[in-house]
Amino acid sequence: MKSVLNALRRVSLTTLVVLVAVWAGYKLWDYYMNEPWTRDGHVRADVVPVAPDVSGFVTDVLVKDNQPVRRGDVLFRIDRARYEIALKQAEAVLLGKGAQLDEANADLKRYSALTPDVVVSKQRLDQVIAAQGEAQAAYDQAVADLNLARLNLERSEVRASISGVVTNVDLRPGTYLTTGKGVMALLDSDTLRVEGYFEETKLPRIHLGDPVSVRLLGADHTLRGTVESIAAGIEDRDRSSGSTLLANVNPTFNWVRLAQRVPVRIALDPAMRSELVAGATATVEVLGLPAHGGPSGTGEARDGSHPSVCRAVQAAFRARPQCG
Amino acid sequence: MRYELDLFGVIVPSFLLWGVVAYILTRVAARVLARAGLYRHVWHGALFNFALYVCLVAGLSFISRELVS
Repeated sequence: MKSVLNALRRVSLTTLVVLVAVWAGYKLWDYYMNEPWTRDGHVRADVVPVAPDVSGFVTDVLVKDNQPVRRGDVLFRIDRARYEIALKQAEAVLLGKGAQLDEANADLKRYSALTPDVVVSKQRLDQVIAAQGEAQAAYDQAVADLNLARLNLERSEVRASISGVVTNVDLRPGTYLTTGKGVMALLDSDTLRVEGYFEETKLPRIHLGDPVSVRLLGADHTLRGTVESIAAGIEDRDRSSGSTLLANVNPTFNWVRLAQRVPVRIALDPAMRSELVAGATATVEVLGLPAHGGPSGTGEARDGSHPSVCRAVQAAFRARPQCG
Repeated sequence: MRYELDLFGVIVPSFLLWGVVAYILTRVAARVLARAGLYRHVWHGALFNFALYVCLVAGLSFISRELVS
């Protein structure tokens, strides 16, 4: 009898520990496989590739590498000489065309005063009217050319199209630039954000407005943000279009496959943006409540203005196995 | 530290550290428990030790999540 009791105790103690281990292992698996957090996150920003609108030698570079600039600030200048000459040319042409137009107008006025078919032939009068029209067109053309020359001269100063920071500036005076060739990056500081590349299997637990904690690689504190948006689409890698524009679907389908990753955009507090470097690696953890009410749950999370209360609620939910 | 561990520039998930620490703790605990005579009340020693290891690694992982900044 004693040995039976002893055996029962041995089995039950081991079974208890094993059951606890199974539960703990399940929680661990859930945390690593299903909880919405990823180490595959990056800081991103919108970048304008600055390129000149006219060709020529660079005469002045007015910005330094990594210098903050405001919209409209001159970044660099392209040699103006050619465009100044072009402007002078256009002005001269305009004067000439103006003189021709005056003459044509005077002719037209003179001939119009004469009686047609008596003093002056109908043909001659038509010629004068046509000549005046041509002179007017040539004059308008010269005005347009002048404006173009003026625009080119103006565009020889390359300005910042947005406020931000110019980076990767290694432009030196004397460099010959051609139209449209990008020479430096203008990073829009207002668009700095974090994008987490979440496996598609984790998306059901991510909702718009969910609070997010972001840890930059090497930083010893977390940044706070919210889920701003989830990418509407990613490329279908198994499908392309053939030359006939018919669908070309990859005939192999893998037995083993990996979850694809979908970018989730995280909006950060503007005060936290200053320390961000676009491209830096970040770990992103969505702190949303478990999906029990869909979008209504996100509303609660957004309204929860007390972070500590929010955390406590999360901890309470976390203790229970999640159904989502 | 909370998510990943920097080993001279090679960055690995902190889970690796918790796995190693839990292994050491399991060995120590097994020795202490053996001395205390607990293994007389254990059905399968190896199964018990493995379960202990899983509990410790999960415990360390979750404690670090709450405590380690």
